[in-house]
Amino acid sequence: MELRPERALYWPEGGVLAVADLHWGKPESFHQHGIPLPPEVLEDDLARLSAALHATGARRLLLVGDLVHSRRGLTPEVVRRVADWRTGHDVEMVLVRGNHDRHLDALPAAWRMELLEPHLDEGPFRFAHHPEPARGHYVWAGHLHPTVRLSSGADRLRLPCFHLGTDVGVLPAFSAFTGGMDIRPRAGERLFAIAGDSVVEVPSQRASRNA
Amino acid sequence: MPPRRRSRSSTGPRGSTRVLVAPSPPSPLPEGEGEELLSWFRAQGWTPFPFQLEAWAAYARGQSGLIHVPTGAGKTYAAYIGPLAEVARHRQKGLQILYVTPLRAVSRDIELALNAPLSALDADITVESRTGDTSSSVRRRQRERLPEVLITTPESLSLLLCNERAHELFASLRCVIVDEWHELLGSKRGTQVELALARLRRFSPALRTWALSATLANLDEAARAAVGPHVTPAFIRAGLDRPVRVETLLPDSVDAFPWAGHLGFSMLRKVADWLDPERSTLLFTNTRSQAERWYEGLRFLHPEWEDILALHHGSIDREARERVEGGLKDGSVRLVVATSSLDLGVDFGPVERVVQVASPKGIARTLQRAGRSAHRPGATAQLLFVPTHALELVEMSAAREALAHGEVEPRAPLRQPLDVLAQHLVTCALGGGFTRDALLAEVRDTLAYQQLSEEDFDRTLVLVTEGGPTLRAYPQFRRVQRLEDRYVVADTRVARLHRLNVGTIASNASVELRYLKGARLGTVEESFVSRLRPGDTFLFAGKRLEFRLMKDLTAYVRAAKERASATPRWSGGRLPLSGSLATAVRRTFHAVRHGHFDNAELEAARPVLEAQARLSRLPSRDACLAELCQTREGHHLFLYPFEGRLVHEGLAALLALRLTRLQKATFSLAVNDYGLELLTSSPFPFEEALRPALFTRERLVEDILESVNLGELARRQFRDVARVAGLVLPGLPGARKSTRQVQASAGLLYDVFARYEPDHLLLAQARREVLEQHFEQVRLVSTLERLEGTPLECVHVPRPTPLGFPLVVERIGATVSNESLAERVERMKERWLREDSLSA
Repeated sequence: MELRPERALYWPEGGVLAVADLHWGKPESFHQHGIPLPPEVLEDDLARLSAALHATGARRLLLVGDLVHSRRGLTPEVVRRVADWRTGHDVEMVLVRGNHDRHLDALPAAWRMELLEPHLDEGPFRFAHHPEPARGHYVWAGHLHPTVRLSSGADRLRLPCFHLGTDVGVLPAFSAFTGGMDIRPRAGERLFAIAGDSVVEVPSQRASRNA
Repeated sequence: MPPRRRSRSSTGPRGSTRVLVAPSPPSPLPEGEGEELLSWFRAQGWTPFPFQLEAWAAYARGQSGLIHVPTGAGKTYAAYIGPLAEVARHRQKGLQILYVTPLRAVSRDIELALNAPLSALDADITVESRTGDTSSSVRRRQRERLPEVLITTPESLSLLLCNERAHELFASLRCVIVDEWHELLGSKRGTQVELALARLRRFSPALRTWALSATLANLDEAARAAVGPHVTPAFIRAGLDRPVRVETLLPDSVDAFPWAGHLGFSMLRKVADWLDPERSTLLFTNTRSQAERWYEGLRFLHPEWEDILALHHGSIDREARERVEGGLKDGSVRLVVATSSLDLGVDFGPVERVVQVASPKGIARTLQRAGRSAHRPGATAQLLFVPTHALELVEMSAAREALAHGEVEPRAPLRQPLDVLAQHLVTCALGGGFTRDALLAEVRDTLAYQQLSEEDFDRTLVLVTEGGPTLRAYPQFRRVQRLEDRYVVADTRVARLHRLNVGTIASNASVELRYLKGARLGTVEESFVSRLRPGDTFLFAGKRLEFRLMKDLTAYVRAAKERASATPRWSGGRLPLSGSLATAVRRTFHAVRHGHFDNAELEAARPVLEAQARLSRLPSRDACLAELCQTREGHHLFLYPFEGRLVHEGLAALLALRLTRLQKATFSLAVNDYGLELLTSSPFPFEEALRPALFTRERLVEDILESVNLGELARRQFRDVARVAGLVLPGLPGARKSTRQVQASAGLLYDVFARYEPDHLLLAQARREVLEQHFEQVRLVSTLERLEGTPLECVHVPRPTPLGFPLVVERIGATVSNESLAERVERMKERWLREDSLSA
C-alpha cells in the first residue's frame, strides 16, 4: 500500500485510490447560517484529488464516506463544479456512505458515482467509513480525521496523519477545511504524518499528548 | 437577603455617609418629589455629600458626565436621585432610567439600592433587572413593556436592541447610568456599550448619560466615550481620596536555588498564621487555579475553618458564589479566597483586610483591591502583599513606590473594532432595521467610530449582507438582507444564532461540570477536560473530584477519595505588568544594581538578586541585559527589556523573524513580564546577530505583519474577532444540535481565509489588534528606540539564571520558522534518534 502526501491511499494491485472525509459543500452550509467562508476550498481539494489520480494512474476512486458535508451545502453551484471536474476523469468512482452522507437519497447523476453501504470488500481489504474491525479483512476507514502532535526541543507541529492499527487503518481527512483528532497510538500501531510533499513515519512514542 | 450586620446599618446600601456637618447648600432637586427624596435621605441618617448635590444639579441642568469617586462613597445615589426625582415628578409609564452594570451578579444588590428610596415617593415606579439570569416569564413580560427603572448588563442591553420594537421601548428613556465604566472601557464590551448608547440617543434625543468610574489617568477620554463626542461632559469628583496602607509579608528565607527564588507554599503557613477569623479578610489571587490551591492549602492547615473559609471565582456555579457573597455580608463567612470575580460590585461592608497573593500587576488594580477593605469614606484601606516568588518582592517594592507617587494607569478606549461593528449591524437589522446613511451617522456618534471612513463602514455592511467582497458574493449567503433601502434580518435561523452570540466577552470553549448524581459545580475549559482520563483526580471549587465521563458538553465527576493530582488551568485572565509598574520595576532593579537595598522587600530578596548578579548581571536602566545559554533543550537567548508580557510577545516574534533572515532556523518563543526567550535546537550565532540594526524601527509595521503571519499571534487573536463577528458559534446548550454542522474552529477559519482572502476585513482586524494590543505598538516603538540606542550587556551563562528560569518554565508554544514542514520533521527525527542513543 502507498500512503500518499495528497492525503490518499493507493493500492497498486487493485488499482484503487482511496480517500476519506472530503466534506464537499462545507463552506456553502456555513453560508446558509450567515457565516461567510471562501468557497475555493473545493477547487483546491479537487485539484489535489486530480493530482493523486494522475500520479498513481488509479482505475478506481474509492470515497470512504463523508463526501458531502450536509444536504443544504449541496447547492446547484457545488453540483456543477464537481460535475465539471468529473468530466476530466475517466475512472470508476464509488462512495461508501458515511454519517454526513446519510441524508443523501442519491448522488447527482452528473457525478457518475456509485453509492454503496455499509462497506466494500476487495481482496484482503474492507473499505468502510467507520473504523471498526472486521473478521477476515484489514479495514481502511476514515471518520476520525486523525492528526498527530510532534515536539522536539523547541519545535512543535500538528499534522494530519495515517493511523495504522493491527486490524484497522484510518486515513487522514482529505479536505483541507477540517479539524482533527490528536492520536496517541497504542503499542503496535504506526503513524505516518503528512509533512508538505512527503509522508514521514513518526515513532509512535513521539506522538505527544498535549504538546 | 441576609440581615446586614449592625455596623453597616448606619451606612446603608451602597453607602453614603453619616457624618457631615457642613451647612447644606440649597437643594438642586425639584420641589415636591425632590424634598421627599431628601427627607428620605436624612431619615437614613445621611446628609448629601457636596459631590452628590453637584451631580443632582448637573443632571437638573440637562448635563451628561462622569462621576469618579472611590468605591463605597455613594456614587450610585449621586447618579440616581436626580433622574429619580424627575421620573417621580412626571409620572409617566415606561422605561425612563437604565442602569448598566458589567456584572450581572451584582444586579440584585443594585436592585435593592435603587428600590430603597421608592418608599419615600408616592409614585408608581417599578425597578427590575434584566440579565442573563432573568426568568423567561419576566423576559416575556418585559418584551411587551419595560419597568420605569431597568438594571441590565451590556450583553442584555444589546439583546434588547435586537427587539423589533426597540425604538418604542426606549423612546421614553431619560437617563442611562453606566456603572464601573473603567472596567468596560478599554475592552470590546466598552465599545459595545458606546454603540448601544449612540442608538439610545437616537431613540430618545434628550437622553442624558452618566458614567461612574474609579480613578484613571485618562478621565477626560473616559467621559467622552460615555457621553459621545458631540457633548461636553460634566465632571463630578468627591475629593474623598482614601489613604491606602500597603505592607508585604516577608518570607523567612529565600533560597537562590534550585527553584530560582520560587517561594511556592512556604508563604502559605505564614499567611495562615497572619489570618484572624475575627477580622474578615479577602485573599485575592491572580488566577483561578491559584485560588483553588490556596483555598485547599488553608483548609488543610486549618480544618476548623471549614465553615468560615470560602472560595470564590468566576467558574464556580452562580448559586455557590452567591452563598459566599451572602455569607460575607452577614458575617458568617470570614475568610474568602477570590479572583477578580470579587474585584467589582458587591458591597461587602464588613471586610476589614485584603491580601494580594503574587504580583498585583498594576497600580489601579492594587488600589481597587485595597479599596475592598474598610469600605467607608475616610477609612484607611489596608492591603497585604504576599510574594510567591522572590522576584515579586522587587515588584511589590516598586508597586509601593508607584502608589506613593500616584502613578495610576490610563485605560484607552478601543478605536474602530470592525468585528464589534459587524455584530452591531446585525443587532440593528434585527431591531427594526436601518438605512445606511442614518446608521453611519449614528455609529459616528461614538468616540470609537467618530473617524470611521465610509469605506470601512461599507465593507463591514457588505460582510454582513453579502458575506464576502462585493464582486464574488456567495449566492446562498443569508444574514442581513436589503429590502429597498432598509437592511433587515428575515431569516429566523440567523436571528436565533445572532441572539445566542450577542456579546464580546472572549471565552474559551467550556464544559459544564456536574456530579454523576446531577448537582452542578460550575464550568471548566474543554481543553483541560480533554486531557483527563476516567479516574484522574483534580481540584475544583475546593473539592477533590474524580473524572468519570464526558457527555454532551458536560464532564461528570464524583467525589475523589485520594488527594487531587491536578488543578484545572484557565487560560486568559493573565494580566500583563502595566506600563506604570514596569517602569517602576526597572527603576528598582537599577537601584539594587547599585547596591540600594532600600527596604525590607529588597533586603529579603537579596539572596536571589545576588545570585543573579553572580551568575550574570542585575539589569540596569542604561543597558539591556541579554543572556546566552546552552542546555539539553538547545540554544537559548534571554533578553530582559522589562516592558510587560504583551510587548515582549510582539518583540519576540519580531526578533525571531529578523534572526531567521540571517540564518535558516526555527525558534520557539517564551515571554513573561520581565523579558523573552528564543530557543532553537541548532546552534545560532546570537551574539553576532545582537546588533542595534536588529532593533531598527525601519520597516517595523511590515516586519511585524510578516512575523504575525509566520507566528501564531494573529491566528490566536482571530479567535475573539471571529466570535464577535459571528463566524464562530459558541457551544451553547440548546444551540448544539442545530449548529453542529456549522461548527468550525477559529484556527481552521483563519487558515482558510488567510489562504483565499488574505485581505479579509476580519483578518485585517485581527492583525490590527495584534499590532495594538500584543505589540502595544506605541510602547514597542519606544522599547525598540531604547534598545537601539542603549548598549546590550551580553553575558554567557552556564545555566538559566534566576531571571531566566521562569521563562524556561513558561514556554508559550509559539514558533517562528522559515524551514519547510518536512525539514522540521526530519530534524525532529534526527534529534529523537540522538536522544534514544544517549539514553540507551
